[in-house]
Amino acid sequence: MNLFVALQIGLREIAAHKFRSFLSMLGIVLGVSSLISTLALTTGIERGTRAFMQQVGGLEYVSVVNKEISNQMFDFWNLSPGRTLRDAQAISASAPLISHVSPELSFGAAISSGIQSDRRQIRGVFPDYFVVARHDPPFGRFLTDLDVERGLRSAVVGDEIARLLWPSLKPAAVVGKTLLINDRPFEVVGVLPKYERVEDKNSKTPGRNRGGISRSGRRYDPFRQKNEVVLIPFSTMFFDFRAGAFPMDSMETIRLDALTLRVGDLGHFRTALEQARAALEVTHRGVDDFDLETREEWFDRMESSIRATRLSGGLIATISLVVGGIGIMNIMLASISERVREIGIRLAVGARGHDIFVQIMAESISIAVIGGLLGVLASFGLIEILKLIAPSENAPIMTLGGIAFSVGFAVLAGFFSGIYPALRASRLNPIAALRYE
Amino acid sequence: MPLVHLEGVSKIYRVGDQEIRALDSVDLQIEKGEFVSIIGPSGSGKSTLMHLLGCLDAPTSGRMQICGNDLSSASQNRLADVRNREIGFVFQSFNLLQKLDVIENIELPLVYSGLPAAERRRRAEQVASDIGLGDRMANRPIQLSGGQCQRVAIGRALVNNPSIIFADEPTGNLDSATGKMILGMFSDLNASGKTIVLVTHDSNIAAVSRRVIEIHDGKIRREYRP
Repeated sequence: MNLFVALQIGLREIAAHKFRSFLSMLGIVLGVSSLISTLALTTGIERGTRAFMQQVGGLEYVSVVNKEISNQMFDFWNLSPGRTLRDAQAISASAPLISHVSPELSFGAAISSGIQSDRRQIRGVFPDYFVVARHDPPFGRFLTDLDVERGLRSAVVGDEIARLLWPSLKPAAVVGKTLLINDRPFEVVGVLPKYERVEDKNSKTPGRNRGGISRSGRRYDPFRQKNEVVLIPFSTMFFDFRAGAFPMDSMETIRLDALTLRVGDLGHFRTALEQARAALEVTHRGVDDFDLETREEWFDRMESSIRATRLSGGLIATISLVVGGIGIMNIMLASISERVREIGIRLAVGARGHDIFVQIMAESISIAVIGGLLGVLASFGLIEILKLIAPSENAPIMTLGGIAFSVGFAVLAGFFSGIYPALRASRLNPIAALRYE
Repeated sequence: MPLVHLEGVSKIYRVGDQEIRALDSVDLQIEKGEFVSIIGPSGSGKSTLMHLLGCLDAPTSGRMQICGNDLSSASQNRLADVRNREIGFVFQSFNLLQKLDVIENIELPLVYSGLPAAERRRRAEQVASDIGLGDRMANRPIQLSGGQCQRVAIGRALVNNPSIIFADEPTGNLDSATGKMILGMFSDLNASGKTIVLVTHDSNIAAVSRRVIEIHDGKIRREYRP
């Protein structure tokens, strides 16, 4: 008997007992749909997390932060000038593995277009900033060395700022407009592109505008932060807004609000950090008041939480598939003890044990395949529900691989749960089976 | 070479630690074209003998040859092959598959001999019209009378053109008129050259055959021609 005939017999058997077959499939349906959904969820979390990692600067991003001085060093803290522009110069000069250095000053100021106004944190930066913070090419241009050298009143603003201050203009049209910062006029030389999540790009519903302006950010959102920057040259920041507060300060000695670096080659990450640290130890005169903050641990934590989610979700879904398989086995056992006489007749007319085995296996696998396909259908619905529940940056993403894996797993469950009933059926004694009532 | 050749064949069942000698060194030969009846009261061993002859079981000891195959200690798979090629069964309770229609029931043995579907259908249809059920091919067994069911069973036994047809109390579930008609079919089949072995407890039925073998306590007690 060939497989095709076995399959025909199996499908007829399933069709003859529709409700019973459906019940036995239900476990597989639920198992497959939950496995697909779990895989989609973890894929979503993974994509969301990776996009997040990219937006915050990637693994190459290193931040020089202030550190509480230890008690033994307390007497010397005055010796260290803290984080200054000299740090940046020292790193540029003597840490070749650090490709970009971005010192930063910031200042809360009133910004206005003459049409709309708001209060924002303004940041004074060098051109390296755009590389370290991973900005995409803007409308217009980034700030340049010339802007910094001459202390020009140029500004680059984020997409949301452009929309906020010039609500009637397209962001690209804002280039060339005058931005008032504490009433001083700045020329907008660049408008950054809108940073958004994959699913925000896809969704056409402006109602769910997550990129919207909200000054009391609920949590750290790199997308929103990058959309709401106002950037001016470092030197302009210093002379226009910061120089007056402490007359002793010069541009070289003013304490920075942020100092971030980009490691050129991740293959030499450790050495690069050593180089930066060595440079900083000199400028800080040996006082241990700084630290290099990397994303390694943070990213590792995210990676391991992705793995944990995948594992636990997969495990739960796998258990439900195993339960589904047991359901099939149960039904197959019931169905063969109901069909002992039929099997006896088939044996009497010349079926071999092998033929009976194939027939029962075909039936069991058919149940699993149909259940698996129904599960795929069900998972489309389930995922729509999950999309409503799951946080937007982790919206589930269904992949073909996930579907194939889940259905494959279901078929495997059908295969293994068919073996025992099929063996039992194929070992029936023809005489006893024929006499069975 | 006879179609059936038994030499000192015994079949012993073990129930607990008790041995039941269902067949006790039986010698038997059946030639091609014979019409043989095996009779005996219940428990005499006639069913066991039919199971051995019908290749449903292998003997415990002795030599058994069916249609040139030595099956003295054959495996279930080997028995199944011989069964499929050489043997047709007709049972007392018809043993049709209720969920298949007439033509599919007749076709069943061919499914296991690996014929292509079109060829199977062609041969089954031929047999169905031979046994006079050409117009009932799409019916389920439940829609047929007992006599028609038994004809379907005979059709199924004939479809792979076997060497021997075994009939186990084929008239047991039928009224006497229908029973006579079925027995007439066996006679006709025998007249056209088929070897038939009829198992019954009723010597009147056995009278349609040309050779009667009487079994008692697992042994052949006597043989006669009616």
